[in-house]
Amino acid sequence: MEKYLHIEKINLKYNIPLHILISILMLMVSPLLIGVANLGAQDTAKVLEMYVALTGIVLLPPVFLPEQDHDIRDLVYTKYVNGAAVYLVRLSGNILILTALLGIYTVVLAHNGCEFPAGRYFLGTLAEMLFLGGLGLFFYGLCDNLVIGYMAPIVYYVAAMGAGQKLLKMFYPFSMIKGSYDEKLWLAFGAAALIGAGVWLRCRRKG
Amino acid sequence: MLAQLFLKECKQTAKSLIYWLIVLVMIFNFTSQLGDLEIDRAPKPGEEEYGFQQSRDPEMIMRSTLGQLVQEYVRKTYTTYPIGFYKNVTLNEEDDQRIGRILKETTGIGSHDEAEQLMKDWYTAREADGGKEVVYAGAMQTEPADGLSYERFGELMDEADRILGGGSNYSKEYREKNTEIPKTYEDACKEYEMLIEKDRLTGGYARLFSDYMVIFLGILPVFLSVTRGLRDRRAMMQELIYTRKCSSFAIVAGRYLAMVVMLTIPVLLLSLVPLYKCISYAGTAGISIDMLAFVKYVFGWQLPTIMTVTGVGMFLTELTDTAAAVLVQGAWWFVTVFSGISNLKGGNYGFNLVPRHNTPMNWQGFHDGFAQLAANRLLYAAAGIVLMILTVLVYTQKRKGRFQNRGKIFAHRKNKSEV
Repeated sequence: MEKYLHIEKINLKYNIPLHILISILMLMVSPLLIGVANLGAQDTAKVLEMYVALTGIVLLPPVFLPEQDHDIRDLVYTKYVNGAAVYLVRLSGNILILTALLGIYTVVLAHNGCEFPAGRYFLGTLAEMLFLGGLGLFFYGLCDNLVIGYMAPIVYYVAAMGAGQKLLKMFYPFSMIKGSYDEKLWLAFGAAALIGAGVWLRCRRKG
Repeated sequence: MLAQLFLKECKQTAKSLIYWLIVLVMIFNFTSQLGDLEIDRAPKPGEEEYGFQQSRDPEMIMRSTLGQLVQEYVRKTYTTYPIGFYKNVTLNEEDDQRIGRILKETTGIGSHDEAEQLMKDWYTAREADGGKEVVYAGAMQTEPADGLSYERFGELMDEADRILGGGSNYSKEYREKNTEIPKTYEDACKEYEMLIEKDRLTGGYARLFSDYMVIFLGILPVFLSVTRGLRDRRAMMQELIYTRKCSSFAIVAGRYLAMVVMLTIPVLLLSLVPLYKCISYAGTAGISIDMLAFVKYVFGWQLPTIMTVTGVGMFLTELTDTAAAVLVQGAWWFVTVFSGISNLKGGNYGFNLVPRHNTPMNWQGFHDGFAQLAANRLLYAAAGIVLMILTVLVYTQKRKGRFQNRGKIFAHRKNKSEV
């Protein structure tokens, strides 16, 4: 257990601070760009699904970044601790941070007089965040390219804005705006599959 | 040397995975948005409706806008959409008084109580008329003060919009949009004639094509330029290239030109599909079309966006040795696209990186806003070139051994060797 805590400590100290800072900055500047007070359920869903969920793209794909250099990756894979375990520890840490940021933001919205089902919206947004991040992680693992890892979820987001539910069906990310939560379950399962597949693909590149 | 490097970079781009992914995304965007494009037929008499158009009647615009201002002044909360998201603005006392002064000059109403009484009277009168339909917020109309000119009204509404932080019901685009009226058969015919005579059919559809494509072109080029920027470092070829005789300008400009050209080619190829549809329709309807309209719009409307976004990617990647440009451009794209939602029908292009005109019609709006659009596109084309030149400067410094942070933002923070 101690070694896993040490992995996360290193992650927090060297790998992820900048990404956490960007995410916090994104959330802190939101009142300048969008309304965060006295919103109805539909407008609150819009804020969470179309803005706050984007932090998933910032925080999850960089999990593989420290081993971007092939030489470092080879060195890491010679160590006793399995590479997949390292990634999963980092992922868990980043997901916890993501959850905490979303939790704080949801509480702030509720405190500002927004009327919405907090629990459902929290879980729904978390599912979307993980799906966006998982999509990035999967393509990063598949193509070994961080830029493609960012591109995939951004293209998915833009496609959802343009073609919408007609095209994405059960994987439509902005369903809460229309009052539907079914899609969020699909997104949650999709996120788990994409994250798992991404880590597997990355570890498969040992040779 | 530049030509040789340009060709070499084009070949490199054509071999890269990210380039083909971008092309796939462009094709996907095109087919999902314009795949089933049908050319509009001439309107026929007796149809149920012919759509809506913005009223150009200054009296109507003033009455509707001032009606909204009275209501929001009474409620002391103002609805704004600064970047397309709902935002509720509550003013402090000083700003509330400034709005009060604007209201006084535009309507003659001197206090909150007077405004509230006017609002109550207006709704009471509507209820007495049995007008159940008049219950929505924007319905109230208020007569402007005697002698108020439309120009002065515009100035005061712009000021109110600035006080509210932009995107309010009093901004130019919203106050015109708020007074939409149904089109008559004659209006629809007139607009169709504009499409055929002024735009020669293809002009209108080239604008629609540009509108859909430029949304993705506001972000996609950054992925290519960041990947290209990081490739030398990943392949550990940076130092080797630094030692070559070739000038920094030739290396960077060659790459920049190659990326811009390679990104423009698929857009030009995709434009052949709507062009073909226009040609087919024009053949049966006997319309003389402008064969080069799509080419003109690709170069005039879309190329400046490609140039700027590619420039942002190149410059920030060269400066930081990271993929930070993706996040920066992503943020810029987000703000620009959402703030453009309020003006989808075109005519008010402002300085948006992604100018919108989501209809083959509205030639008049395009014509009226052309000077603004031309300034916008020239600015972004120039911005792309400036960013390329800045990249050359950073690259030159790196060749001299400076700016070598190798992806670390705080490269010199600690642990310096005492040796």
